Amino acid sequence: MRYLRHRTAAFLVAAILAWAGWELYIRMAAPGRLDPDLARVLGREPFVNVAVTLGFAPEDFHIRLFQTYGIVSGVQGMTVKLQRVPADGVARLARLYWVRRITREP
Amino acid sequence: MLRREVVLTWIVVLAGFFGVWSLMAATLPVPAYFLPPPTAVVEAFGELVRKGILPTYVAESLRRILTAAMLGLVAGVPVGILLGMSRRVADFFYPLLNFFQSVSGIAWLPLFLVWFGFSERTILVAVNYTLLFPVIFNAMLGVRSVPPLYVNALRTLGASRWRIVRDVVLPGALPSIATGMRLGLAYGWRALIAAEMLVGANGLGFMIFNAQSFHLTSRIMLGMGLIGALWLVLDYFLLRPLEEATIARWGLVQR
Amino acid sequence: MRRVSGALPFAVLIAVWWLVTRLGFVPPIFLPPPGDVVRVALELASDGSLWINIAASLGRVLLGIVAGVPLAVGLGVVVALNRRLAPVVEPIVGFFNALSGIAWLPLAITWFGLGWTSVTFIMFNTIFFLVFFNTLVGVRAVPRIFEQAVLTMGGSRRHVIFQVLIPGALPSVVTGIRMSIGFGWRALIAAEMIATSTGLGFLIYNGANFLQSDTILVGILVIGALWLLTDRLVLRPLERRTIERWGLVSIS
Repeated sequence: MRYLRHRTAAFLVAAILAWAGWELYIRMAAPGRLDPDLARVLGREPFVNVAVTLGFAPEDFHIRLFQTYGIVSGVQGMTVKLQRVPADGVARLARLYWVRRITREP
Repeated sequence: MLRREVVLTWIVVLAGFFGVWSLMAATLPVPAYFLPPPTAVVEAFGELVRKGILPTYVAESLRRILTAAMLGLVAGVPVGILLGMSRRVADFFYPLLNFFQSVSGIAWLPLFLVWFGFSERTILVAVNYTLLFPVIFNAMLGVRSVPPLYVNALRTLGASRWRIVRDVVLPGALPSIATGMRLGLAYGWRALIAAEMLVGANGLGFMIFNAQSFHLTSRIMLGMGLIGALWLVLDYFLLRPLEEATIARWGLVQR
Repeated sequence: MRRVSGALPFAVLIAVWWLVTRLGFVPPIFLPPPGDVVRVALELASDGSLWINIAASLGRVLLGIVAGVPLAVGLGVVVALNRRLAPVVEPIVGFFNALSGIAWLPLAITWFGLGWTSVTFIMFNTIFFLVFFNTLVGVRAVPRIFEQAVLTMGGSRRHVIFQVLIPGALPSVVTGIRMSIGFGWRALIAAEMIATSTGLGFLIYNGANFLQSDTILVGILVIGALWLLTDRLVLRPLERRTIERWGLVSIS
């Protein structure tokens, strides 16, 4: 039983710590991705239209993922336009580490 | 053998492996997508992490296999133990469990497709099925393999049913249970990859299958490497120690 | 006692199955009654398609075995003899072993396209790495003292290989063959669903496309029966025979 203390327990502890650390990081970095006037509007309206800018051209994976956040209304270069995204959806989008910026669309 | 010799041999073998691979990638008269060099696979790793694709897919696959493992542990083991407690019941279920264990969840997948369509549920049912049967079967066998002598000894001392299970049956069956878990996870992990290829919209199986349509062979190789590596990690850090600890401690049963 | 009661559980299962469908608890499209399954089985058997698919699957299994086992055993022995190489190659083969099976399919399709080549490659692959690994481990596990005994009695290297190492490794090798066919059979069915248009895997996957649950069940039963027959009649006795004879070392 003492054997377990070395290998498996260490692995599990390391895994949990890594996960916790990562969650902390993304939650702290999230607000920085939001455009200032988007942040202002966020509490006030139930749905917003946003433009999500990535650091790369979006692939099928990203489009399908964004479809779970709102209606994908267009892709331009590295930016995906989404409509009718709920407020907490924007917050979740901001926590995605591969998203660069989220700005407001009219 | 000297430590230095071992290290040297490792270096030579790995260098040889990657060297021949790179050489073949550079010189073989085949289209580029046939055999990308090792560097392309590393690049693919960086790219997929940067784009957030890889962590998501890995997390999906791990989530599915780990929840199946949980279910196996929480539901499969007790059911197996229960079935093993009575000789008649165990003998009755033995051929059934043996048969259903042999037919992988993937063989049932078409039927699940008829029942649940192309959905997450289909994948989960197939994987959980594949994992549960070896666990139940081996738990049952483990209970049956406990020498009746021990059970009777405790009974003469006036122990309750629960005490008997906790102090004799469970420890005695543990080596078999550990083996069942290991087998179930081995079959289950492979069934998961296959199910993700057939049904999926995400996960490592889907990733490598999808990459093939776009001839992104470096992604295929990356995915394959991860599939093997993840299994080894699961086996080495979780399963093997569990099995060794139980067998070493309560090795009543010979394998 | 076990043989008689071996059939009873299945009889009970079929009876329960029949009852459930008779009472209408589930629509026949989800669970066709046993009668339908038997009818479809006879149809497929009489128009030949069942046999074609069985032959296709079994043929691939056989091909995988014939190509994989000798190569794996040969390589395993050769590598195991080299004391410097063996400890390094073992974990590498172990890694490929962990990777084996269906995970190779996209790569196989890239190289060989869709069709029986890719599918047979999966079978070959699964068998090759597991048997290679088990041979390697088995030969290395033979106690040195046997080898040395033969050498002191004036035996040649060949004697050592063929009369000590190979018999000593045989239980491990045969267990490896048995396990790898089990893993390989499963991977084969999955591969046939994806990459080819003949074989039992294709039969049942195609059945799903047309919502033909009865065809699917026929296929599943045939798959299970074939595996049980092979395991019970061929593999298990083979394993038992070799372990009983050379049970110096056995590794499950």
